Amino acid sequence: MISQVFILSSKGDRLIYKDFRGDAGSDVVNVFYEKVTALTGDQPPVVMRHKQAHYVHVRQGGLYLVAITTADSSPFAVIEFLNRFAALVKDYCGGLSEKSVQMNFALIYELLDEMVDYGYVQSTSSDVLKNFIQTEAVSPQPFSLFDLGNVGLFGADTQQSKVAPSSAATRPIQGGKSEIFVDVVERMAVVIGTNGVLMKADVQGEVKVKCFLPSCSEIRIGLNEDLSVGTSQFRGYGTAVRVDECSFHPAVRLEEFDSHRILRLSPSQGEQSIMQYQLADHLPSALPFRLFPAIEKDSSGRLLMYLKLRCDLPPKSAAVNVSATIRVPKGCVSLSQELSSPDQNAELRSQSRAVLWKILRFPGGTQLSALFKLEVPALSSASMMEVGPVGLSFELPKVTATGLHIRFLRLSPVQPGPAQRWVRYVTHSDSYTIRI
Amino acid sequence: MQEWANQLCENRQFGSKMTDSKYFTTTKKGEIFELKAELNSDKKEKKKEAVKKVIASMTVGKDVSALFPDVVNCMQTDNLELKKLVYLYLMNYAKSQPDMAIMAVNTFVKDCEDPNPLIRALAVRTMGCIRVDKITEYLCEPLRKCLKDEDPYVRKTAAVCVAKLHDINAQLVEDQGFLDTLKDLISDSNPMVVANAVAALSEIAESHPNSNLLDLNPQTINKLLTALNECTEWGQIFILDCLANYTPRDDRESQSICERVTPRLSHANSAVVLSAVKVLMKFMEMLPKDLDYYGTLLKKLAPPLVTLLSAEPELQYVALRNINLIVQRRPEILKHEMKVFFVKYNDPIYVKLEKLDIMIRLASQANIAQVLAELKEYATEVDVDFVRKAVRAIGRCAIKVEQSAERCVSTLLDLIQTKVNYVVQEAIVVIKDIFRKYPNKYESVIATLCENLDSLDEPEARAAMIWIVGEYAERIDNADELLESFLEGFHDESTQVQLQLLTAIVKLFLKKPTETQELVQQVLSLATQDSDNPDLRDRGYIYWRLLSTDPVAAKEVVLAEKPLISEETDLIEPTLLEELICHIGTLASVYHKPPSAFVEGSRGVQHKRLPGSAGSGESVESPDANTAAVASEVPPAVIPSQGDLLGDLLNLDLTPTSTTGPPPASSGMQMGAMDLLGGGLDSLMGDESEPLPVPQRTDTPQSPQPPHQSPSPPDYCSTELGGDLGGSPAIASGLGAPPVAVPPSFTAPVSGGLDDLFDLGGGVGLPAGSYVPSKTVWLPAMKAKGLEISGTFGRRAGVIQMEMTLTNKAMSVMTDFAIQFNRNSFGLAPAGPLQVLTPVSPNQSIEVVLPLNTVGPVMKMEPLNNLQVAVKNNIDVFYFSCQYPISMLFLEDGKMERQVFLATWKDIPNDNELQFQLKDCHFNSDVASSKLQGSNIFTIAKRTVEGQDMLYQSMKLTNGIWVLAELRVQAGNPNHMVSLKCRAPEVSQCVFLSYEAVLKN
Repeated sequence: MISQVFILSSKGDRLIYKDFRGDAGSDVVNVFYEKVTALTGDQPPVVMRHKQAHYVHVRQGGLYLVAITTADSSPFAVIEFLNRFAALVKDYCGGLSEKSVQMNFALIYELLDEMVDYGYVQSTSSDVLKNFIQTEAVSPQPFSLFDLGNVGLFGADTQQSKVAPSSAATRPIQGGKSEIFVDVVERMAVVIGTNGVLMKADVQGEVKVKCFLPSCSEIRIGLNEDLSVGTSQFRGYGTAVRVDECSFHPAVRLEEFDSHRILRLSPSQGEQSIMQYQLADHLPSALPFRLFPAIEKDSSGRLLMYLKLRCDLPPKSAAVNVSATIRVPKGCVSLSQELSSPDQNAELRSQSRAVLWKILRFPGGTQLSALFKLEVPALSSASMMEVGPVGLSFELPKVTATGLHIRFLRLSPVQPGPAQRWVRYVTHSDSYTIRI
Repeated sequence: MQEWANQLCENRQFGSKMTDSKYFTTTKKGEIFELKAELNSDKKEKKKEAVKKVIASMTVGKDVSALFPDVVNCMQTDNLELKKLVYLYLMNYAKSQPDMAIMAVNTFVKDCEDPNPLIRALAVRTMGCIRVDKITEYLCEPLRKCLKDEDPYVRKTAAVCVAKLHDINAQLVEDQGFLDTLKDLISDSNPMVVANAVAALSEIAESHPNSNLLDLNPQTINKLLTALNECTEWGQIFILDCLANYTPRDDRESQSICERVTPRLSHANSAVVLSAVKVLMKFMEMLPKDLDYYGTLLKKLAPPLVTLLSAEPELQYVALRNINLIVQRRPEILKHEMKVFFVKYNDPIYVKLEKLDIMIRLASQANIAQVLAELKEYATEVDVDFVRKAVRAIGRCAIKVEQSAERCVSTLLDLIQTKVNYVVQEAIVVIKDIFRKYPNKYESVIATLCENLDSLDEPEARAAMIWIVGEYAERIDNADELLESFLEGFHDESTQVQLQLLTAIVKLFLKKPTETQELVQQVLSLATQDSDNPDLRDRGYIYWRLLSTDPVAAKEVVLAEKPLISEETDLIEPTLLEELICHIGTLASVYHKPPSAFVEGSRGVQHKRLPGSAGSGESVESPDANTAAVASEVPPAVIPSQGDLLGDLLNLDLTPTSTTGPPPASSGMQMGAMDLLGGGLDSLMGDESEPLPVPQRTDTPQSPQPPHQSPSPPDYCSTELGGDLGGSPAIASGLGAPPVAVPPSFTAPVSGGLDDLFDLGGGVGLPAGSYVPSKTVWLPAMKAKGLEISGTFGRRAGVIQMEMTLTNKAMSVMTDFAIQFNRNSFGLAPAGPLQVLTPVSPNQSIEVVLPLNTVGPVMKMEPLNNLQVAVKNNIDVFYFSCQYPISMLFLEDGKMERQVFLATWKDIPNDNELQFQLKDCHFNSDVASSKLQGSNIFTIAKRTVEGQDMLYQSMKLTNGIWVLAELRVQAGNPNHMVSLKCRAPEVSQCVFLSYEAVLKN
């Protein structure tokens, strides 16, 4: 049961405040802000407690979305609710920011009233909610595709938000052009051992649909026909596309999934994650990156790191925003570097004991190398143990690690006029660790 | 240019529609006044904008309650948007303006009749949120109508409204019969209505723990399961949480519910998944482990839990806290999923720490190599907390998986080589534990450890290192130097280190007495004379005393073999774990605390328990788990305070059969400072020893003896009792020893006169057999779903028996009986399983005899002879309590020697004597004596004084407590006096009751 919900700006100003049950007191907002700003990095921020009130919050778009509960309710439900709430605000107001919330507070109150009654979540589906909502949304600014310059691929910088961004379109779901986006977003978690052996490789993927087609009653999405699900079910030989498990949005109808790998759904306006899947270990293709390190102590007591990094993507593809974080011993005072090409750079971050090597674009089938010389006073054999691991972060546009593809995207009834259909793929590094 | 464009844009917006953000501008003077005017404007659009402004002010915390009447005036409108805004305002301020709120009632009532269902629902929803007592009476009629509304949207809103109203005025809701209507809604055709009705009923039921509001029976469960498939994800959560409170009748029902809940595991909403996991974990308890389905279910539980770990870190953390519980309860679910708990370098630290914890719990021989490789990597990371925990984890692996111990130790040594301060300290702390687990195996590493002595600055690490030095003092050449170096700053150390240092030096002394006398003197005087810490001082004195009295014994005590440490550490206590499993997916599972610890009021304070297992071979459950449940049904069992427990312990220790007989009395009091470390040392040090300097003690400890020594000096110069009986001074002569602990060599001469008196000993007449009370009903059938238990206790041929009649008054056959006792005063426990070999058919009674022993756990009960029993059958677990006659605990060898009796009687302080009057009992002393002897109450002597027969009797309880009695029988008088003397006078009352029962029988 949710007792109160509020949205705070990053400075702690109340933007939305709604008390559903009147049992949690009134100074909760200030208490929350004090608590959340006093958190240190190692404290789990998930549930905070003050007297009888338990604060659950998520942070999105620079805002705190907070729910308070006084009973022993489910934190999963509350977090899920807050995430849906954020998504709905985005869908209805065309973005989640201090400004958009301020401009649309009446709409958001109305939404909240329909979503939650006396602390019980009633519905978070935009299809259901739109029947009840009277207030019209106000956009902060006219929508423009050209506003995306400052954000990374598909809307956000991968390393800042763990939620893989999926959609370029940010605007209210009411009105606008008829467009549909289908995004396949995958996140890779890889660990490569000291001897170069792959120790672990996980892929978590998601198919998201963002729909702005008011007249569309059904879409059919065809996945790879040879897609197999589960470990036991191999179809034929060779490199069939496989996932270990998958789960679907409740609105997805699966009549044709078993026979033809077709997902059918009546899309809601706005964004939905329609399918989530995972694959552990057995990846169908080679890993995107290999690292060949050589580390030694030179005669003058410096630490030499010679790193060769190879990108094993197909030659037509390229990785972007690649950065390697190489852990170095404590007490490093300076770094000198020799890099193999000009579009790379490297720097020493003494605070986090790491060298950060950045490569903006890294085409498939090529290899880069770097020589780092580090000045470490009192370099001992024990401090050699502190070198590594190397963490890589990157984006692979137009690539899926599992090989999952959208075969077709059909809309019915056939859309009048120029309905635009976009299918996009991206693979992010979730955690790509190479041990030295 | 840009500016111009912005302006244009803004102007355009003003023209068409005003944005809300301007409402947040700062307060100006007279703002309220302006708003008032706007609210009363004729133009609808202007009114709406004004209400929006009011709400904006309300949001930022400004007081706009003064506008209440003006806003309420806007309520009557056809514009739904405006109406919603006004209602929003009303909900917030109605409480501060209760009189004004009444003004709005009419509109509400009217709106509840509106043809538009949206408006009807809106009205009923808002009315419930106006928490004003006065308004509630007006709410009843509209609510009643809305509960039966044709539109499901209205009905589901009305269902929630009942819960709202119940919170304001519970009595009203009951009187108006809304609860019954709500129950009817569980059968509604619309799943959303069902879900809300379930949610509302669950909440109301929580505030009435004993009411049977949510009458969960197979029919309702079936309805809920049907609605589960159709309603929204949020409704599914309500229904699953409600299902979790149900206890299925048998494993078949349990399985069928599990089968219908399992599909929820693949839901995209993690809250649904966790609620489903909770239901399954609970109902699984009822499934027999050999069932195929049990295995299938185990397999199905793993993937959804793994999937949760791909969510955002916040959800991951919550999931990991839950998985931690699940892994402790059923490790088999995730035993093959070790890899998913490996730490990613960009996990937040709180996720990393939780993952580590689970990795250790899952570590086994099969995966230990992999785990260790990971842990080694983690131990060189940057984050200090994480590294510490990783190092500690390596140690835990060594303890848990014996095969890996060697590899773990060498890994730890590698880490110590890094000389990173906190790594070294953690490593030493865990190596100490490894030494405890595998003694005499890895001592070769001690040298390496000693090298790092200087770098240790944390108390725990210092204490661990000192422990190692002390434990292996004989192998470390310079152990004395090492320990001496710590001694310099003794008073600056923490208590932990001080205690450890004291013990270590005493160990060293016992191992190498010649070289370390000075050191031990020094530490003993530091601990006893210069320290304010009572623990330290006491331990110092104990060692001092031990060393001075009996160095050999000291060696045995201090260097005794230590019990091995257990494999698993940090386990949650089983009772708490069971309760937490019932709260999977809730805050309790994140805090790892029961809800009663953090939820105020009645809500959530009911302790939930897992259902009993169906496996017939398994025990019902741990007796601890029953305590809470039993306590609610039987007269309150008072948990003894610390003092009581201590008292009991002291009494229990008085056993004369004790093998470690008390030390000679002379060693207690008189032993002053002079012979400290004196004589006894010779045996340790051989002949060459020179007398030690005697430490100068100013404050002689008052009573340093162990508690089992006689507290009073043995001074029996004139024994009154003895004098009365025969005036023999010889009796007193042998009584130097503690009274109940009779030296076997006791051979004091007894004068002839006494012999005559005491010759009765053999017994008067024939033993009449132990007294067995008639059976009484312990557990009425009404309370136990048809099972009636009546029974009694008896002692037959030296065996305590519980004799029961089990009667089946239900309609179905009962099988799978099992029994368990809660802890009790005398440690009674079943000596074997309950032997009910055949199923008991309806209306059948069977007799069962359960032999008991007295080796169970002991806890003082109130009354003393209270026994709490749990009986399980295929239907449920039932609890009852009964009282046993204490006479069944009287041992056959309870006949005290005459002399001992006299001495004991004298020795027990008069305060411990209790007198009771036996009324309306007709017997003479011979009959009484014979009857009592049948129940192991032995007559030792008889005396006749002025027509009164005095019987002196003794009896001994199973825990070694002796009870002495004097029974005065006056011929022709039905009233008799019983005086009871016992070192534990608590038992006297019970003993008297036994007298009464035996003699009146």
